[in-house]
Order: sequence, then structure tokens, then C-alpha cells
Amino acid sequence: MANKSKSAFYQKALFVLILMLLWETVARMKFFNPSVFPSVTSIIIAFLKGVSSGLLVEKTVYSLYLILKGLILSFLAAFLLSSLAMVFRIVENILDILNSILHPLPGIALLPVAILWFGIGEGSIIFIIIHSVLWPMVVNFMTGFKTIPRIHLDVGENIGLKGFHLLWGVMLPASLPYLLSGIKIAWARAWRAVIAAEMVFGAASGSAGGLGWHIYMTRYMFDMAGTFAALLAIIIVGILVEELLFKNIEKFTVIKWGMTI
Amino acid sequence: MRMKKYTVILLVIALLGTFVLGGCGANNPSKTTNKGGSKITIALQFGLAYAPVQIMKEKNLLEKYLPGVEISWKQLGTGPAIRDAMVTGQVDVGFMGISPFLIGWDKGAEWKIATAAGSQPLALVTYKDNIKKVSDFSSTDRIATPAVASIQQMLLSMTAEKELGNPRALDNLMVSITHPDAVTSLLGKKDVTAHFSSPPYIFQELADQDVHQVLNGEEAFGGEFTFIFGVATNKFHDTNPPAYAAFVAAFNEAISFINNNPQEAAKILAPVNQLSEAETYKSLTWNGTNYCSTPSGIIGLAEFMKTSGYISKVPSNLSEIAFENVEAAVGKRYGEMSAIENLQLRKSENNGQ
Repeated sequence: MANKSKSAFYQKALFVLILMLLWETVARMKFFNPSVFPSVTSIIIAFLKGVSSGLLVEKTVYSLYLILKGLILSFLAAFLLSSLAMVFRIVENILDILNSILHPLPGIALLPVAILWFGIGEGSIIFIIIHSVLWPMVVNFMTGFKTIPRIHLDVGENIGLKGFHLLWGVMLPASLPYLLSGIKIAWARAWRAVIAAEMVFGAASGSAGGLGWHIYMTRYMFDMAGTFAALLAIIIVGILVEELLFKNIEKFTVIKWGMTI
Repeated sequence: MRMKKYTVILLVIALLGTFVLGGCGANNPSKTTNKGGSKITIALQFGLAYAPVQIMKEKNLLEKYLPGVEISWKQLGTGPAIRDAMVTGQVDVGFMGISPFLIGWDKGAEWKIATAAGSQPLALVTYKDNIKKVSDFSSTDRIATPAVASIQQMLLSMTAEKELGNPRALDNLMVSITHPDAVTSLLGKKDVTAHFSSPPYIFQELADQDVHQVLNGEEAFGGEFTFIFGVATNKFHDTNPPAYAAFVAAFNEAISFINNNPQEAAKILAPVNQLSEAETYKSLTWNGTNYCSTPSGIIGLAEFMKTSGYISKVPSNLSEIAFENVEAAVGKRYGEMSAIENLQLRKSENNGQ
């Protein structure tokens, strides 16, 4: 087990290193104008400058705050709606048609609507995040609930579990792989939504803005190294969340229970 | 063990490759085939500020001065977008405001002003009755400008400096919204209390009886200033003199046409800008509109951008940021500065005039 994860790490690290070297080579060959294709070294310098001045950290935290707010609200809504849909047929039908109508719409396309309803502050950004994230979550939750093997529910009912206890004790753990997959997709979608929305709404409400705004600003100021440094920040946060959060949740639940390998 | 040995060898080769290949590199192969006058790519944005370019296109003026030329027109949404296209050699001449131009110039972009396009009447409007001057704004008000470091934001900073003593006093009130969205928000009377607007958006706003003007751009700047410039890459100017000259001549003719025949120009421009002919004519002849190829206010704007921290240096000489035809239009008077030279500065209490 230990050997497998060690060689996996080395393979991934080697691949990334070779990619970086390729990038640096292309940058140094000046095949593209250096102002629009910065070298790896200039990107790293810009990144370190942003971290040490606190600017990148501040922006990342703000974007994360918006994402978390949107994710938590969406999770609760998705869980509630999916649970109700399992109990009441009519809720399931309504949810289905809502999903067909709204899921294909990209969050950013609803921007003008968001401005009209929620104004130009945080509310609009949260609205776009929730819209981008709710439907994939609902789809995954519903699939998770529906694919619970009948036998699990029977055993639960046999030992006297009913209603909420059945939900907590059997349905939730049984559908956990799908729930987790839904959350992972939602996390990636939330990033896309927040960066795109921030680029449009910018630093409304007088706050410093998030990473999307930072990307917009560095682009305006013709600071491509800064733009890539912001992308690097997003990548690092993504890797950290994946390795430290998701992998560990999986390790202590679905992997431990033998539901996935 | 063997894996590790191969890995190390592979890495060493890759590292060496980086340094060797990095040394030999083409110096920025341009993507436009500009040797010899047959091809030119022009980029513009949306709106009547670009009317001379639109006239040039609709009336095929460039073809008159350079028969057989192949023109590629690109319409992009923002100055930075055009800047990226020009820096990577995809566009020869681009139209943008002073901000993206000077920021690019400051960071080493090899381009200069080929012509001014003119001044446009910018005005700060609000629906709040009690706001008559900038000092009447409170911390909960919001002022919409098209972009950070835009001319509108700089004009607000200049006003803040003049009336409130601190150019950053209004920073927290400013929000970046595109003109159409700003109009919707302002007329909805919810979040946006004021908007630094221009025609044709300002017509819609002023039609609402609650909305009134607080100040205009020239008051804020302290004189006239060019709103949009035509910028050309050094490469285009140096390797294709006939096309460059043809562009300047055609552009001047377009401006002359608009100024002498506004009604006919409105007829041509209306469908291009998706406005009615009446609205187009109104915009073209609105108080403060001035299509002119001679620049004004360049040095004043550059100095303000430097003190605001958007750029690190001010051009010491017009030749650093403009091609010879622009320099010739401004001239150089010995003794006292000429009127046109003075026009490039801001009129403040300091330099009188």
C-alpha cells in the first residue's frame, strides 16, 4: 500500500516537472511575446510576491468564502429537495422538469437576471454559484438515493429503523459515494462560477474582490505573470482540497466500508 | 532501481534541453504578412466613439489610398483584448483609450499613437436629488464606471482630488459595470446611484426626470482630452510605410466626412451601431463631441496615471508615444509653448492659462 502511493506521487511529480520545463523552454525561445507568455520563473516570482504581500491570500480567502457560502446553501437545498423527491412523487416530477429547464443554462448567462434581482453585490455572485452547483448535486443525490440496494433498506426496516433514523443510518451511508461525487463536481463548478462572476461584478460592495477580480485586474494592467500566479493559487487550493479533504473523507468512509477501492 | 536511473537521465536531458533550446529562439515571428503594403488588420470596439473607423470601413476609404489592399476588420470588446492581439502580432492598428495604451507602453509594448479619434462628452449623472457636487456623495452610494483604470475612473479621481483633497476619496464608491448594465441599474434606482455615462446611454438616463448631471468630463479634467486613440505597432509602421500613410489619410478623410456631413454620416452609422438614425445624429452632434485627429490632453493624462500608480514613467517627449504625423500635427514652438502643445496638458490652478 505504502509503495503504491509513493511511486504514484513520484510519477505525478515527474510529470509536472517535465511540463514546467517544457513551458520554460517555450517561454525562453521567445516563440510568443514574453509579455503574454511569461516564463515559469517570472510566474513563481509573481506568486511569491502576491503571497508575501498578502494580496493573493486575501483574494483567495474571499473567493473561498463566497464558494463555501454557495456550496453550503446548495448542499442543504439539494439534500432537502432530493429527500423530499424520494418521498413525494410530485416533488420528484417538479424537480425533474426544473432540472431539464435550468441545468443546461450556464450560470454566467443568467448574469443580467441576477443584476436585476439581486443588485450588483455579493448576492448576485452567490446566486450564480448556487445555480451552477445545485443541479449537478441534485442529480447525483437522486441517483445515490435511488441506487440504494433494496436489501439494505429491508435490513434497516427489519431492525426497526424508520423515517429519520432510516435516513441517517442506512440511506445516507449507502448513497455516500454518489453524494461525494456530487460534492466534488459542485466544488469544481463553484470555482468556475465564482471566477467568471467576479470578473464581471468586480469589486462591488467596496471589498477587495476575489481571485476572479484579481485575474481581471492583472490582465488590465498587462501583468500576465500575475494572471498566471492567480491561476497557480487556484491550482494549489484545488490540489490541497483534493488531497487533504476529499481523499481523507473517502479513506474514512467509503473506502473503509469497502464500497469503493 | 533501474526506473530511478532512467528517471534521473531523463530529467538531466530535459533540463539541458531547456537551456539549449531556450537559447536559440526565433525573435517573435509576427503573424501578419506585412511586407509590402498588401495586408492590414484593424481592430475597433463598440460605439460611436469609433465612428471615423466605421466610416472608413463603410465607405472603403482605405482602398482608395491603397488600391488592392487586403483589410481584415476585427471588433473586440475591450482595450486589453485589442492590446493582447496587437502585442502578439495579430492586429496592426487598434483603437482604444489612453489607459490600455499607456499601461502597455509602460510595460514595453512596441507601439505608438498613429492618430487621435476625438473627444466624447462624458458626464456623471445621478438620480439622487440631493447630489449636486461630488462632495454630496455618501459612503453608501455607488458610482458605476466601465472599468478600473478607465478614463471615467480617472476623471472621478481628478474631481476627488480637486474637491475633496484626496484622489482616492471615491475609490470605495466605484463599481465596474458595463454601460448597458449601469443604465439598467441606475434607472432601477437600487444599488447604483450614479453613472459616468456617455451618448447614447446618457440619452436614456436623462430622459428619466429624476436623473440629472453632476459634472462633465472636461470640468473634471480641466480642459479637452482625447477619448479614443488609433494605435499602430512599431512593426507595422516601420515595415509598411505605404499602408501606414494610407491609413492616416483615409482616417482623416473619414473624420472630415463626419464633420461636414453629419446627417449623411448618421444614415451610414445607424445600422452599424444598431441605433435609429435620429439617435445617431443626436449623438454625433451632442454638445462636447469632437471628431479630430489631433490629440489633446495626452501629457495631462499620462502624468495623472503616473501619480495614480497605473504607470511607472511619463513620456518625456511626444516622440516616445506618437508617430511623426501626430508630432507634426502638434508641432514644436520655440519660445512660449504653442496653443496645441498647451492643449496636451491639464489646466489646473498651477499652470494657469
